[in-house]
Amino acid sequence: MNYQFQPGFILEKLPELAVGLKFTLIVSAIGIAGALAIGILAAACRSERLPLLDGLVKAYVELFRNTPLLVQIFFLYFALPEVGLKFEAFTVAWLALVLWGGAYQAENFRAGFEAVARGYREAARALGMGRALTLSAVVLPIGLRIALPSLTNICISILKNSSYMVAISFQELTDTAVNIVSLSFRVFEMFLVIGIMYLGIAWLLGAGMGVLERRLALPGTR
Amino acid sequence: MPSWAPPVIAYSAQGLEFTLIISVITVAAGVVVGVLLGSLLTLPVAIVRVPSRIYVEVWRGLPIIITLFFVFFTLPAINLRLSAFAAACIGLSLWASANVAEIVRGAVQSIPGGQFQASAAMGFNWAQTMTYVILPQSVRRMLPPLVSLLANLIQSTSLAAVIGAFELLQAARRSIERLTVDTGNSEAIPILAAVLIVYFILCFPLAQASRRLEASLAV
Repeated sequence: MNYQFQPGFILEKLPELAVGLKFTLIVSAIGIAGALAIGILAAACRSERLPLLDGLVKAYVELFRNTPLLVQIFFLYFALPEVGLKFEAFTVAWLALVLWGGAYQAENFRAGFEAVARGYREAARALGMGRALTLSAVVLPIGLRIALPSLTNICISILKNSSYMVAISFQELTDTAVNIVSLSFRVFEMFLVIGIMYLGIAWLLGAGMGVLERRLALPGTR
Repeated sequence: MPSWAPPVIAYSAQGLEFTLIISVITVAAGVVVGVLLGSLLTLPVAIVRVPSRIYVEVWRGLPIIITLFFVFFTLPAINLRLSAFAAACIGLSLWASANVAEIVRGAVQSIPGGQFQASAAMGFNWAQTMTYVILPQSVRRMLPPLVSLLANLIQSTSLAAVIGAFELLQAARRSIERLTVDTGNSEAIPILAAVLIVYFILCFPLAQASRRLEASLAV
């Protein structure tokens, strides 16, 4: 093995990688926020057993959870243009993450809502609160706290899975690094640096959510 | 059935075969390495625990696609020629073994300490304790997350297409490209929809089984 590790090469390519990193962060942020929003709405439909919507949401969740994200991305990017829905890579990138993450977050919120003790709902209804108010003022705040650890896991997965967009040549961090590697063959330098970036951001995200979990912990649960 | 369909189906069936082969190889490697590493993770000896922990954190923490590219590009850089198929199997096995290790560690640590003490009292060494006493009991706890990992793994084999390995998604992609060149119609919608359905048929029963196992094995 006669591979010369060149730390200088990393510094040289850092500005290029920073642009990729920016797109990774933008797409992940939209993906995480959108997935949480879909998750809450979908879980609300299911926990209230809204007719029709309940079934539709269930089908959506099972379909997106049981098929590979990469095939979903291909479908959005290569199949939908056939019916006149042509998206650019950036749109597909965040849309795919929102739809995929939304299915997982829906399941996480649903589990959280279900874990809220029945007595709380009954007490809220006894106080004359309507279904919407019971959900938003009682079930959501408690269920959210219960669901937080699993919500965090999916947020981190969305960040990691933004790397799938290399398959549609969207210029995020992985795509940028792979392009540099295929031109320069500086494999170890590039993968070391993006590996540290992904692990570092995932760790920061996890640590941030950990702080939130402790801040929001229900009295008597810790 | 339209005339383009039979050859695409035959070609995709070959792709599906490779999806399943990659899955089986990865499951075998992932379980063997993962059970060993997961057991090491429960040891109080830092010399074995720390390297195992680093392995698990790195290969679980990195996006799988980066692991695949890393294996695919690195081994040739140190003059080891490797097919995309082999690179996909190795990369997915690194990821799967790290996840299995974490599942095994959790399950082993959930076994009450009395079992370890009783084994020690019987004169069992560590390997005997793990093999005959602890691991058989922790299978109950491991099964639901392992089945759900298997579904996740089958989905992740589609990433092999990104490094050019031949499997179901790659077969579908090549068919679409071929049809576009030959006929001008890509037929991307029916082909990719069929691919989604095949993955769904593979993964949905596993997800349901994992859910049921979890419910029935709940202590």
